[in-house]
Amino acid sequence: MENVLLSVSEFVAVINQTLEYAYPTVQVEGEVAEFRIAQGKWVSFKLKDDGAIVNCFTALSQMRVPLEDGMRVVVVAAPRLNVKGYFNLNIRAVKPVGEGSIKKGFELLKAKLEKEGLFAEERKRQLPRVPKHIAVITSTESAAYADFVKIINERWGGLEVDVAHTQVQGMPAPDQIIRAIRYFNSLEVLPEVLVIIRGGGSAEDLSTFNDEPLVRAIAESRIPTLVGVGHEVDHTLADMISDVRAATPTNAAQILVPDRQEIIRSSRAQASSVGYLLTQAIDSYSRQTKENLNAAFSRMQEKLDATFEQLGVLRVAVAQLNPENVLKRGYALLRGEQRIGAILEIETVKHIITAEVQDVRQK
Amino acid sequence: MSDKSNQSVQDKLTNLSELVGWFQGASFKLETALDKFKEAEALAEEIEKDLTKLKNDIKIVKKRFDAEE
Repeated sequence: MENVLLSVSEFVAVINQTLEYAYPTVQVEGEVAEFRIAQGKWVSFKLKDDGAIVNCFTALSQMRVPLEDGMRVVVVAAPRLNVKGYFNLNIRAVKPVGEGSIKKGFELLKAKLEKEGLFAEERKRQLPRVPKHIAVITSTESAAYADFVKIINERWGGLEVDVAHTQVQGMPAPDQIIRAIRYFNSLEVLPEVLVIIRGGGSAEDLSTFNDEPLVRAIAESRIPTLVGVGHEVDHTLADMISDVRAATPTNAAQILVPDRQEIIRSSRAQASSVGYLLTQAIDSYSRQTKENLNAAFSRMQEKLDATFEQLGVLRVAVAQLNPENVLKRGYALLRGEQRIGAILEIETVKHIITAEVQDVRQK
Repeated sequence: MSDKSNQSVQDKLTNLSELVGWFQGASFKLETALDKFKEAEALAEEIEKDLTKLKNDIKIVKKRFDAEE
């Protein structure tokens, strides 16, 4: 090349061709410094370590996790010399690495989404109690998927399950999961629940589920979402933004469908309770009939008692009117005409006396 | 009968709950209670049979998600 005369533009083009051939993409790890967003569209920052520093450039729309100065990141980038003579890493993807930076990225995005109200309780939709058709997004090669299938098969039947196999960790995972979410949301007949599961892993493995476009795709899903990622102690933005959070993939299966053994027990108990209610009703009817009969007998007895009492009173009254009782008190009963010379019959309590009338006077 | 056999497990569970409700409600009549009780027992048995034999239909979507189409 030393005998070839190049213009500046040609030189920059040749360098870029060489870079593209030799290093189509590179992965570089370093610390973010001088992070800037220009015109709300362009992101620039410097990536540095103890010995060197390099300029990084990308579109804001390419950023999947918010960054801040001091965060450690790995960038996937194409090295380029720009027309102004600056050497840049044109970023294709960037992800925080190391526990502190991952946590920082998580907190920054969480705060951003929270501000938009995307975690609000009122956004949460309920899942159907017993769905008939569900969609699952996961790696079908994972133990988490095997556990999930085992549990739903144990617990329930008659369920139509469509499974989209995607990567669940690594750089390509978020986009694959987003495509699967969009695929299920574009179906003519939507599944009733969209389940996203992944087993436990390191903070870096699980950082797929803290990817901003993925988290937003879950929030935008027309299908209610159930997300179970990692272990109980793991919290990702994907599960926080979902309609229902499961602590683990196994827990997702438990939330999704009822336990058939429990339903069978409950059905049996309901049938038994109906039998008990029937026996109770029969007992209650028979008790009520007995009580009604007793009440009728008591009423009749009361009427009889009252009548006998009345009869007794009348008996006394009748007895007092008996002439014998008057004679007993010393009176006499006189029979015959009241004229001189007539014969009278006088009856006392002990005697009947015959007498002749000698005189009749007015009183 | 054909109507009943076509019912889903969910429908049968709802019917069973309604029967329990009937026994506890104002429309309860002793004259029809025995038939309703037999109905409830039959439903519980059907639910158990259905739930025991039902299998899930799991299909892996053929579409690939590793690249934009």
